[in-house]
This record gives sequence, structure tokens and C-alpha cells, in this order.
Amino acid sequence: MALPLTYNFRNVIVRWRATLATVLGIALVVAVFVLVQALATGLEKSAMNTGDPRNVMIVRKGSTAESSSQVSLQQFQTIRYWPQIARDENNQPLVSADVVALISQPRLDGKGEANVSVRGLTPMGRFLRPQVKLVSGRWFVPGKREVSVSTKMAQRFSNFQIGSRFKTAANWLTVAGEFDGGNSAFDSEVWMDADEARTIFDRERYSSLLVRAASPPAALEIAARIDADKRLPLRADSEVEYYAKQTATAMPIKILGNFLATAMSIGAVFAAMNTMYASVGSRTREIGTLRVLGFRRRTILASFIIEGALLAAIGGVLGCLLALPMHGVSTGTMSFNTFSETVFQFRITPWLAAKGIIFAIVVGIVGSLLPAIRASRLPVIAALKSV
Amino acid sequence: MTIPTFIFKNALRNKRRALLSVSSVAASLFLLVTLQVALRELTQPMESAGAELRVAVRSKISIANFLPARQRSIIESMPGVEAVSPFTWFGGEYKNEGAMSFAQFAVEPKAMRRVFVEAKMHEGAWDALEREKNGCILGQITADKYHLQEGDRFSLNSTIFPGALEFKVVGIYHGTPDDRNMFFRHDYLDDSIGYPGLVGMWWLKVKSADDMPRVIDAINKTFANTSAEVRAESERAFALSFVSMFGNIKTLVASISSVVVFTLVLVTASTMSMAIRERFRELAILKALGFRRRELFAFILAESFGLSAAGAVIGIGAAYCAYTYGNINQMTHGIFVTFEVTPRIIGYSALVAAVLGIVSAIAPSLAVARMSVVNGLKTLD
Repeated sequence: MALPLTYNFRNVIVRWRATLATVLGIALVVAVFVLVQALATGLEKSAMNTGDPRNVMIVRKGSTAESSSQVSLQQFQTIRYWPQIARDENNQPLVSADVVALISQPRLDGKGEANVSVRGLTPMGRFLRPQVKLVSGRWFVPGKREVSVSTKMAQRFSNFQIGSRFKTAANWLTVAGEFDGGNSAFDSEVWMDADEARTIFDRERYSSLLVRAASPPAALEIAARIDADKRLPLRADSEVEYYAKQTATAMPIKILGNFLATAMSIGAVFAAMNTMYASVGSRTREIGTLRVLGFRRRTILASFIIEGALLAAIGGVLGCLLALPMHGVSTGTMSFNTFSETVFQFRITPWLAAKGIIFAIVVGIVGSLLPAIRASRLPVIAALKSV
Repeated sequence: MTIPTFIFKNALRNKRRALLSVSSVAASLFLLVTLQVALRELTQPMESAGAELRVAVRSKISIANFLPARQRSIIESMPGVEAVSPFTWFGGEYKNEGAMSFAQFAVEPKAMRRVFVEAKMHEGAWDALEREKNGCILGQITADKYHLQEGDRFSLNSTIFPGALEFKVVGIYHGTPDDRNMFFRHDYLDDSIGYPGLVGMWWLKVKSADDMPRVIDAINKTFANTSAEVRAESERAFALSFVSMFGNIKTLVASISSVVVFTLVLVTASTMSMAIRERFRELAILKALGFRRRELFAFILAESFGLSAAGAVIGIGAAYCAYTYGNINQMTHGIFVTFEVTPRIIGYSALVAAVLGIVSAIAPSLAVARMSVVNGLKTLD
């Protein structure tokens, strides 16, 4: 005989008061799970948005962050005219030597200070990062002690509004404009001229080189050539790969998310069990009637499990809907890689939402398993007699 | 039958439900305690004995900028300063782990033994460090993790400086809040990178607590408007400055805690209503027998309070045992070290449980108050 699914479905609707608390409970668990995972996804996405597949990033061998990497002027000159590097219409090689420094700046909300990454770029640097677009004001002018900041950083730090000035390393810098980094790692940066940055921060050397390879095989040749040259203690990686490695910060957030999901789901399973037991208890007579009508034990077992799963699925969908308004909201924390403030967005991907709903259904099935077994084992006569 | 036994029997008449309710309260309170402890660790850095006499001096630009080594003699000559040691982050990776699992600092042993007073080591460990240029002093936790003993050698690849350095363990310390760090000689580092004359930070000890504000002020003023401006602050203020760097993570943990509490209230209140609805008829009989509303309220309240109290004892107790006797450092892969469940957190969680017991009794109590005896007796389930 077919499953009495309509019966279960109508039950959920008719006894909505009893099931509402369970559904809401599961919804909140799923919302927390999805939100925390959305943070980790957002961090990874921002790293993935950053690289350009044609670019090659060159840093000092062994350094894990640009701010602790060093590339000397001589090394820059050596690499600059290699034939594997693409040229622009004026036959200039597409190479940018960058300086990355950290500066400590006060937060906009007045709650202390945080490190901010300042990137000094040579003129080619902006061309090599086309995803970064000016949104207001203008780009920094070399020699005028000017910087451009990302809009997202301007919203988090008190000295980063257009026209404001701040002092660092005994120099006053003026904010000339705001840019949008297109949800990439550049959203967490302040940009200025490379040689000006070297003067201000007293750096003899650059931090890294970004070059545009003439072709995909040329990119591999650049890496191989650097590796083979003993005078160059450097390492070349595709820019995409370099940033893909910068996701260590997402790890603790993922651990937190999994821990929360586990602990909260244990509580939710108990609560779901309670509701299902109560609902089986109050429907003893109905179950007896179903048995008399000829529904088999295993049919009843399956239908109650499906009822639990259905409840939980509603909770799961609701949880995703609760989490959805946070999608795209920016937040920030200290990155373990760069040791500076990293801005990123909550990213609720379809796959993540699906994971949340699947997770809810598992909670529902586990929670309804025992009550369903109990329902299917009720002796028919006793069930019919009960009031 | 006395009233307490009546309440007790009522609470346990449906054993399965009582057990499930207590378990769900316990699981949620366990989580709440965990989040509170994590939040405390993030917002209140560990306090080390001896911290009240210490000052950290870093570059004003940011902690990642170097300071000139020549500043040392200037600071040392200031009145009230007892000892000054350089303190340079080495950022070394053990073998090829691919990640830093403990912090290493280059220091000057003669000064360091007077600054870093709380480290407990065998006599002569500092002397050994002064004798052996490649010596290092290692925290107990790190030594245990890598099975290193005195006399063992190992090498670290720096992510900050070019190349790797080899070290020999000359002492293993314990007795600080975070026994994981490693200290080695600054001149050994300087040798390997060709004496650039730079240090990461200065870590110094003042003679008395009264000297502290004066010394901090003097250091900040002395280097103001030089090419290397500094920020001197008490060790406590320095540690707190890291909290601000974590940014929105704090808000995140705090809001998750409130969602947990809300879910908890919701679920427990619904269970409680279920339990009362089931025996509406009995309550009507009690009413008919002449029990007053306030007595019925007391029954309901005592039952819900009792259930959430039982859940609280189990949940908070489990968290306390897990974090006091478990190895939290290993469980969280080194993110948290102490994870102390403080009396304050226990008190707060117990308070949440108490409020929970009261709030979940409200809805059933209202229903009972509104019920007329006749309708109550008619109720079927």
C-alpha cells in the first residue's frame, strides 16, 4: 500500500502550533550554520577574485606575505626586460614593482586601531589589476603624498574619507580618491606610488613584482628561469595561485562553524525528538486506524520519518531565508597571512544553502527515527482503545 | 504525598520527555559556555605575572615595522628602566609544516632574564643561553609537541628573514599563561642576516609600578619626530591592542550566543507547554479540589525550573570538565591555549538557565489561569 503521505502532510499543517517551535528551532540552527560558513566562503571568494590568470607574482623565496618579502632594485632590473614578459603598445614591459607596508590606523567606530596594508605601485601596477576601479575622487598623484583607499576601508577607518589627512612614518598623507576592488583582496588596501612609499617607509627594496606573461607557456618559463637562477632568491607563482594560498584565515572560521553546527544540531535533534514523540503520542488512535485500514508497519515508519524530514526541510528553507539578508554584507577581521585588516563579504552560494537544507533534513530524520519506530510498533487494539 | 514529591513525580512521569528536555537544555548551555569562554579569550588577553612592570615599545607606523638598534642605549639610560631586551619576531616554520605553530623571538639573554621573570626553568638555563650562541629556550608545550629535550637540535625556516637557522635547546620553561614561545639570541639572528641594525620591538622592565607612566611618556617623547617614532605602552595595553585587530569576529561570536539563547528559550518553552497541555484535565481536577491559581503556578514553575536546572548542571558541568581537564590547545589546533571557564561565565550561564525556567513557565501558566474548570475537565488530550 502506498505511503499515507497526504496524512502526514495535512498533519503538519493542522498541528502547526506544536510543530512551529521545532521548525523555528531548526531554522535558527541552519541560519547560524549557513552564516558562519558564508563567512568562510566569503574569505575564500575574495582571495579567488584577486588573481588574473595572465599575471605572475614574484616574491622572496620563503616569505608567506608580501609585506615580509623583498625584491631588490637590481633583481627588478634583471627580470624587467625578459622576453617572456608582455609589452604594452609603447613597447614597455608590463611589470609592476610593489611595496607593501603595514600602518596602524584608528577604526571609525573608535574601538582601537588595526593594521592596514598600504600598497605602493609603480605606474604599470594599476594596469595589471583591471578589476580595481576608481569610484570617486581621483587616483593618487606621485610626489604629492597622496593615497587612494578602497571604499570598504573608508567605511571602517576614521582617516580614510576623501580629503582627510593622516600621519604615518612622520609624513602627512592625503586621501585623494576611493576605489572599488571588485570584492578582491585589494578591497582591504590603501594604494599609493611605489617610490614614494619606499621613501616614506624607508625601504631600500620593493616587496614583490607583478608581471604579465606574454603567453601561458611564457608564465611557466618565467617561473623556471627564476628557479634556475641562483642569483635570484625569488619564487614565481601565478597570481591566482598566490592568492589561493592566502586563505589560512578561513580555517578557524570553518572550525568554528562546524563546531557550532555539531553542538547546536545535538540540541535540535533532542528538541525535534520531543516534538515528534508528543505528536506520535497524541495521534495514537489515528495510527491505530491507519493500521486497521491495512497500512503496514514499515509504511507507517517511513511516513513518520518523512514527516520529520519535511518539518526539518521547512525549517532549513526558513533558516536560509533568515540568513539571506546578510548576503553581501561586508565584515572584517585580521588576516593571519597579511597580519592586517581583511575585508570580505558574507557569501551564501546555492551550494551552501543546499548544504544547510540537507543538514536540516538529517537533523529531522535523526530526530524522528525513534518516535517513528514507536509509532510503527503500537499494537492495533491498544492504539484504538486509547483516548 | 507531599507537594515536592508531587512535583517531582509529575516532572518524571514522562521520563523520555524529561530526559530529552534536560538534554537539549544541557547541549545548548554547553555551547553557550563555550562561546562565552571563546569570547573572553578573544577580548581579554591572558595576564602574565610580571606584566604590570613591563612595557612594550613598537614602531608607531605599525607593529610590522622595524626599529633601529641604536634606540636601546637611549632607553636603557632613562631613569626607572631596569632592563631592555630586543624582541624580534622570527616567523619560523618548523621543518616543512607549511604553517607557524609557535612564536619565536630573538632577544638578548642578559636583559631577558630580568624582564621575563615568570618563566620557570632549571638554574643555569639563562647562563647556557649566554654561553651558546645558537642556543634557544623553548616553552614546555612546544617542547612536548615536537618531543624536543635539552641538547636537541632543530632548524627553522624564517618567513621574515632569508634562510634557515639551526638551534640547540638549552632550556625548557613553564609557568607562563602561554608556554609555547621560543627565545633565542638576537646576535645569532644578526650574524645570519649581516647586522642590519634593526629590531622588531623593545621589551623592557621598569623598576617599580610608579615608574611606569613616566617611562612610557619619556620613551614616546624622546623618539617623537625622529625617523623612527615609537609607541610605548604597558604590556597590558599592548595585548589589548590585538583585540581590536580581530575586528568583527567579536560581534559575530556575541550574536551567535544570543541566537543560541533564543533558540533555547523557544524550544524549552514549547516542550513545557506540551507537558502541561497533556495534563490539562488533571490541573482542572486540582482546581476543582480547591487548589488556587498561585499554587498551580508554583507547580508549573517548579517543574520547568527543575528541568532547566538539571540541564544547566549537566551542560555547564560538562563544559567545565571538558575545558579544565581536556587539552584545549590540541583540540583547537593551537588557536586557544587556556580556555578557562571562569566563575563569572558559570554564573552567567546559570542565570540564563534560571530565566529560561521562568520564561517557559509563563505560557502554560497563562493557559491554566484562563482555563475554566468545566472546560478543563472536558479536555481529551
